[in-house]
Amino acid sequence: MKIKEIISSGLLELYATGLASEQEKQQVKLWAAQYPEVANELTQIENSLEAYSKSYAIQPDSAVKEKLFLKIKETAIAPVISINSTADNGYVPKKSTSISYWKITAAALLLLLIGSVVLNISLFNTNNNNSSLLASTNQQLQSIADKNKEMEQDMLVVQSKYSMPVFLNGLEAAPDAAAKIFWMKNTGEVFIDATNLPITPKGKNYQLWAFVDGKPVDAGIITSKTGDTYRIQKMKTFGKVEAFAVSLEEVKDIPNTSPQGPVLVMGKM
Amino acid sequence: MLGEEIKYSEEELVSRLLQKDQQAFSYLYDNYAGALNAVIYRIVEEKELAEDILQEAFIKIWNNFTSYDKSKGRLFTWMVNITKNLSIDTVRSKGYKKQKKILGDENFVINLQDSNIGAERFDTIGLNKQVNNLKPEYKIIINMAYSSGFTQDEISKQLDLPLGTVKTRMRAAILELRKHIQNT
Repeated sequence: MKIKEIISSGLLELYATGLASEQEKQQVKLWAAQYPEVANELTQIENSLEAYSKSYAIQPDSAVKEKLFLKIKETAIAPVISINSTADNGYVPKKSTSISYWKITAAALLLLLIGSVVLNISLFNTNNNNSSLLASTNQQLQSIADKNKEMEQDMLVVQSKYSMPVFLNGLEAAPDAAAKIFWMKNTGEVFIDATNLPITPKGKNYQLWAFVDGKPVDAGIITSKTGDTYRIQKMKTFGKVEAFAVSLEEVKDIPNTSPQGPVLVMGKM
Repeated sequence: MLGEEIKYSEEELVSRLLQKDQQAFSYLYDNYAGALNAVIYRIVEEKELAEDILQEAFIKIWNNFTSYDKSKGRLFTWMVNITKNLSIDTVRSKGYKKQKKILGDENFVINLQDSNIGAERFDTIGLNKQVNNLKPEYKIIINMAYSSGFTQDEISKQLDLPLGTVKTRMRAAILELRKHIQNT
């Protein structure tokens, strides 16, 4: 068949409209591959049909496109890349868009992970800070509770119906000094409130003396008067006592058996 | 519409679609969805069903794009064939004999003549008048063949034409169409 005959046969039109039989299709393909004029004619026919169809277009609802792209994005996770066919067509395939989706997803996940780690560290630190804050608060509370307990005990001493206060007044060496003794009539226990004794100089401490049968007997070292801390301190017990005195003594491993330093305060029962 | 400024040549479009370029696919859809939808509508005559098939057809086009062979013809021809086959399969699987019913309908030819639904929405192309000026006998044969998926045999029976005349009538119709388009 000559080219003109092919073109005027009407077979190209049947091919373009999809009406050609299988045999006719093969024939048209061969001609189109063999003769550029035939291929060109076929393209013209197809273009005119494309324009014709477009002139009768019925635009679908816009939701169709949205749904379509949702489905496409779903399937983009598992792309079908046919290397053969792309090679056949002479195209160099770029990296699949879905791969960049993976990259984006991976990057996003990494960012989330980093964010999570940072958050965790920050929360961990905050938690640590809170824990130590709580611990120190608890410590404070405990020390207040302890103090409170001590105060209560002190109050018990003062308030006890058996406690007998003895006022020790300042002597020549320290006229302004004073101390208070609480002696328990029922048990003979001795407590001292050393609030009004002067602060001890370094290397010295106070020693309490109880006068029994006219002689001073060691009643214990006053430890409650170091710095300006204060509480009522329990001393040695005496069943029978005439007077109390406090002297300022050198700090020693073994306390004196009689006052060596100046006696600051004294009071009789 | 976003991306409407972009114009791809057919070769570029094909290349991009092979690379699964979604922007190119969006362009493809914007350019051809209406025309393909009209093809489907003429076969199924139900708006919602047509749109379901349209969506399915585009998914097929997207997923099987590597099977498009440009040496066998234009992209649009390939897409119309996919769409037409899908529509016909759907109609058959649905079990409704719409095609046969239409064939038995004496108003069938008139239906086809009037089937320029949506044409007014494509005024920008400036083609409607030219296409509308096409002789009715030409319009009918193109509509039947190109849009409705009849066989040569069915067309010859329906239009009461000898089988051999179908292709000469078709050639005449398309030649006239081409003339109209060139005059645009």
